[in-house]
Amino acid sequence: MRKSIQAGLGLSALLATAAAPVAAQTAMPWLHVRVEEAKQATRVAVNLPLSVVEAVLRASPAMIEKHGRIHLGREHGVKLHDLRRVWKELAAVGDAELVSVESEDGNVKVQRKGDVVQIFVDQKPKAGKDGKKPKGGEQVKVEVPVSLVDALLSGEGDEANIEAAVAELSKRRGDIVRVQDDDSHVRVWIDEQNTQAPAGK
Amino acid sequence: MVKLAILLGVPIAMLATVASLGIVVVDVREGGPDGSRIVVPVPLVFAQAALAIAPMAAPVDKLRLPHEAAEHMGLAREVLEALAAAPDGELVRVEEKDQQVVITKQGRTLEVRVTGKRENVTVNVPLQLVLEALPGPDGRIRTAALAGALSSLRFTDLVEVHDGNDHVRVWVW
Repeated sequence: MRKSIQAGLGLSALLATAAAPVAAQTAMPWLHVRVEEAKQATRVAVNLPLSVVEAVLRASPAMIEKHGRIHLGREHGVKLHDLRRVWKELAAVGDAELVSVESEDGNVKVQRKGDVVQIFVDQKPKAGKDGKKPKGGEQVKVEVPVSLVDALLSGEGDEANIEAAVAELSKRRGDIVRVQDDDSHVRVWIDEQNTQAPAGK
Repeated sequence: MVKLAILLGVPIAMLATVASLGIVVVDVREGGPDGSRIVVPVPLVFAQAALAIAPMAAPVDKLRLPHEAAEHMGLAREVLEALAAAPDGELVRVEEKDQQVVITKQGRTLEVRVTGKRENVTVNVPLQLVLEALPGPDGRIRTAALAGALSSLRFTDLVEVHDGNDHVRVWVW
């Protein structure tokens, strides 16, 4: 579950952003990714100007077509115009808990709060055998601004508007994704610095 | 006297001309008291000439990327152009127990630095050269453009390797 969540978050990281206040648009925004694994004493830090992220998204073949739109046709099992309709209805509802799953393995909650959609995953650690320490616990927090989803869905037909989404992303500053589990910590955020502050900041 | 001047002057002038067009210098120094040193200077113009005549000497399919790779060239070019235009900064840092890898963008150069317990490697990748070297959508490697871009490498440290007491350096003068 951890790997699939983290893989999903990789894409979310590029498309989502934080509830942090909108910052001045004059400085170049940078997307930062930090992965820390305590056991392996490994730290990975990636800093990319958002213009480069935009270039990747704009030019990625297969999924993204020439004008920055993802086609979600039948082959992907989702029709974007249906998604657009559902999103419009949700917008009319206002703040609400959209999904809540509670099970023995963990809890998942999706809620709209103010101008963000929040996703919380709390996976409970599995009891260790023979008195060993419980393992596998994980907390994931993702915040997707409503304006970003609005921008993504601003295309027509079965097209997601990546250019509009990236433009929206460039206005945002702050945390996008945080994943914390037993031995690793992943953080994705946007700010205007070309380096990362020391760990934990 | 005039003959002597011509005899000496012509080769010196030729050498000066070749040198003024740039020289790739490979400098290998072995550590230890008996370590030897090898310095190989290669005039840049030779490399440029070789690249210029490559399409005539090599079969067309040898100078073409496979289709699977060629179709990603558009993406690679867009990303590299965006990177070249982006502000300077540290792009990647990987820290492990015994090794550290840092990729930094400085001007139009990507600096890749690998620091290990014993080895230290620094490679400077000029983005302009990579952009010129990148094949077009048809997958054809544009050797003439690459030859032209080589002149932009002048006064660039390309590779530096410290391995124990051994030292290798490749730079363009």
